[in-house]
Amino acid sequence: MLLLSYIIVTTAIVIASIGVYGLVSSRNLIRQLLSIEVIFNSVILLMLIFIGGNPHLATMIAIILVSVVAGEVVIVMALILSMYRSVKTLLSDPLEEPGV
Amino acid sequence: MDPNILVLLALVTSIASIVVALLVVSVRDLVYASSLLAVLGGLTAALTAIIGYYLVAAFIIIVYVGAAVMFIIISISMLGGGGLETWNRGRGIIAALISLIILALAFSRINITQYAFPVSVDSSIVANSLLTHYAPLLAVLLVALAVTVLEALAVARRG
Repeated sequence: MLLLSYIIVTTAIVIASIGVYGLVSSRNLIRQLLSIEVIFNSVILLMLIFIGGNPHLATMIAIILVSVVAGEVVIVMALILSMYRSVKTLLSDPLEEPGV
Repeated sequence: MDPNILVLLALVTSIASIVVALLVVSVRDLVYASSLLAVLGGLTAALTAIIGYYLVAAFIIIVYVGAAVMFIIISISMLGGGGLETWNRGRGIIAALISLIILALAFSRINITQYAFPVSVDSSIVANSLLTHYAPLLAVLLVALAVTVLEALAVARRG
């Protein structure tokens, strides 16, 4: 089913570009985290398509990938929460100033 | 399942995924945006199941949507909007177009015609491999996740 692969690869590429748009255009840290998660969704689809020759290996990598991303989300949200307490904003602009 | 129905299902799910991804990055309210991320996770799981990876689809729903995205939704609900959001849409559109062109060029070079979808995955082989051949990797992952949660708690409490 070649058409199925092409549909999913095209979708994943478009979703990754949408994620890049959100990541670059917004200065809000939570919006940037959400955009990275959008890119992650496309990465998992592309990975499963391109390791299609060995579906068991692809399944194992996907399980490990999802677990690592779950941990990453927890750490990034904790850092955002910590930053919000100290600078009272979720915008990334104050992070560019020295001493923050 | 009939291959034509499978392709139609994949097409509808793909279009829905693109629309939901657009909404995640453009909806003003961050609580709605994060809720839409959960919908996008569900649609990704649906696409994953369509190509035969049922175990990965279940894992995405349980761990990613059920734990990670729910954590984001609850955290954003507690934080609120976090002030006025500034946008630079022109820069974003240029970056998105450049990434679209680069990704399309890169992936057009890779031959995906050799793989047949939907694939058939035997969950007992996956479980056996994870618990025998890849057991050290699984142990490192579990320790890393435990440390991650502790570190997150420490960072959040310190303020």
